[in-house]
Amino acid sequence: MERCFAELAERTSSTDAELAERTPNTDANAFGVVIVGTGMIAGLHIAALRSSTRARLVGLVDTDPARAAAASLANGGVRATTDLAEALAWPGVDGAIVCTPNGSHGAIAMAVAAAGKHLMIEKPLATSTAEATAVVDAFRERGLVLATAHTHRVYDYSMAVKAALDSGQVGEPQVIRATLLGGWIWGDWNAWVLDPARSGGHQLHNGVHLLDLVTWWMGATPDSVYARGRRQTATELPIYDYLEMVLRFPGDRVAVCEMSRAHRPSTTGHRDVLVIGTEGTVALPWDAEPSLVFGEQGVTALPPVSGSAFTRQLDAWLDGTPVAGGAEGLAAVAMAEAAEQSMASGQPVELTS
Amino acid sequence: MINVLLAGFGGLGDQDHQTAMYLPAFTAHPAFRIAGVAATHPADEPRALAAAESAGVPYHADLATALSTVDAPVVSVAAPAQTRTDALLTAVRAGRHVLADKPFTPTRAEAEQVVAAAEGTGIVVAQHHRYHPMVTAGVAALRGGTVGLPWNVQVDFVVAGGHPCQDELLNFGGYPVDVVAALTNLPVLRVHATAAGPLTVLALGHEHGMTSTIVVGRTAPRAGVPEGRLAHHRYRVSGSHGVLVLDATKPAVTVSTASGLDRQWLPVDTLTGLLDDLHAVVTGAKPAGPTLDDALRTAAVLDAARRSLTEGVPVATDGGTA
Ligand SMILES: NC(=O)c1ccc[n+]([C@@H]2O[C@H](COP(=O)([O-])OP(=O)(O)OC[C@H]3O[C@@H](n4cnc5c(N)ncnc54)[C@H](O)[C@@H]3O)[C@@H](O)[C@H]2O)c1
Repeated sequence: MERCFAELAERTSSTDAELAERTPNTDANAFGVVIVGTGMIAGLHIAALRSSTRARLVGLVDTDPARAAAASLANGGVRATTDLAEALAWPGVDGAIVCTPNGSHGAIAMAVAAAGKHLMIEKPLATSTAEATAVVDAFRERGLVLATAHTHRVYDYSMAVKAALDSGQVGEPQVIRATLLGGWIWGDWNAWVLDPARSGGHQLHNGVHLLDLVTWWMGATPDSVYARGRRQTATELPIYDYLEMVLRFPGDRVAVCEMSRAHRPSTTGHRDVLVIGTEGTVALPWDAEPSLVFGEQGVTALPPVSGSAFTRQLDAWLDGTPVAGGAEGLAAVAMAEAAEQSMASGQPVELTS
Repeated sequence: MINVLLAGFGGLGDQDHQTAMYLPAFTAHPAFRIAGVAATHPADEPRALAAAESAGVPYHADLATALSTVDAPVVSVAAPAQTRTDALLTAVRAGRHVLADKPFTPTRAEAEQVVAAAEGTGIVVAQHHRYHPMVTAGVAALRGGTVGLPWNVQVDFVVAGGHPCQDELLNFGGYPVDVVAALTNLPVLRVHATAAGPLTVLALGHEHGMTSTIVVGRTAPRAGVPEGRLAHHRYRVSGSHGVLVLDATKPAVTVSTASGLDRQWLPVDTLTGLLDDLHAVVTGAKPAGPTLDDALRTAAVLDAARRSLTEGVPVATDGGTA
């Protein structure tokens, strides 16, 4: 489980655990979904499916037979396989939710498109712009709904910031700061996220969250990226655990994105948003928490209980109007790729739209 | 008591820090006494005359005459942009110690010229935020290893309202750059600057691989922030063993009434520390070198930032390409 994520982001979705307790939807007319990859994030998608009156879980795919079997057991013995093609051919399957490591996204997405199924894919959409473009084209050509799970768009905090900006009270954003700092390094050296071939690196793994958010808040795509990366936890890290990305937007506007798994202590969960607009400021400071726990782990935030973010995300996909679609997923991949080039060259990288 | 000559009553735009800040600070400080006032430019004259009258000291229409007449080892230079560098050169060439208003000089080349001319005398640039008690506590915590080895600093230094000036980067940029220098004492090697309207985002690369990012400038007025005051003034220092978060807009008592919400606190004194430092340099209790180095380093960062804004690429502070 991406623990830091749970701490930072799922402040809004603590009802997911309760949702998991509910009886699954057995209505055969409901939108049938297969889950591909049954790891940490799949659990939250499955919980949202269970609570849905419109969709139902048809079955599960995981290349690891033991994980496939365990996930089936945990979900009332729902059908499970290690073979994606087999699952996509099951009767009653209308779409897939893909929750596999990033490097497998492109190929799995193409298989889903070829099978004529709708897709919600975890971020990043793919690990290269070329691959992401092919996926977007494949879904567009077939008229299938493609959603990229840029989950931060459906958390209460980001929606509150967006609503404040959309209200027009603060004018045009001139500088946006978006900061998510954690200190949990994804387990040990075996974690797939640390392998650039499987994760695409941190900029594609978690960097895309902030790249997508600031683009959404700004209401524009950047024209250049200047990024700096750091291997803080260990010099031998094959990816950067701390990322800082400065995006320049048309019209002299700038976003500063910080994404970290490098901070100490390892329990760090620090989120900070500051938008300085032409006429006002929107601030969501790191200490803007309604409930705090003074415990043996230090001071931690107690997530407030509110609507499930994953339910919002699922419903939007089912409506055919995903929170973030293929274009947004592709844009995030392109920005992350530019960030990677910038970190390699030490120079800003221009983005072509 | 050390005599002080106040020279120049201008700055960028319509600024007059001499009257607003240095005159009262020298008057209140037990080690200094104002002994004379000099104009450096016709535009200085009305304010200089008013200052001479309020301090009850002689007024001189030009700095050279004042220097030869007034027995003052210290000159407080807050001259308008056009005469600033000349006034600094005149003061240091006359063997005087200088309290220099910020920005020190309009360009780095001029800063180097002034420092080179200051043989044996001290120059303290009035980057007074480094004397903020929050910053001095932070410096002590960092030197004591509270968060281990710093590897990144994030800064917001944003003023709301007040009188906009032509070059807010030159106007304000030195403050956060100087505070980061005070906190970490790690010189800047590389600067990438991006413009965001009246704000600038500075991405700095320091010695030992530390990086910092500074959002600096001025926005339109904001309710709850007095005109021309800091709406955001904070530093986050990430270190190998922890994180230090400093926010100068705190502490505050919030006062809410039918007509609005106000944040208040006792005045924070950053000028006494500045003058204490000046006093230490003048009396030889502290070597002049470090303050000269700080002045030059800040000028070099602002210069590189300007080049980076024009060229759109990172720029090395040693003048080379980054
Ligand atoms: N939106 C968010 O907030 C968020 C949060 C965490 C993770 N994610 C994304 O979700 C995805 C999964 O992350 P996770 O943390 O759940 O990973 P995980 O390691 O917990 O689970 C991945 C699962 O996929 C299985 N798998 C691997 N390759 C497969 C393949 N080719 N076909 C089928 N199954 C395969 C593995 O056996 C494992 O069970 C990643 O893309 C990640 O970026 C998103």
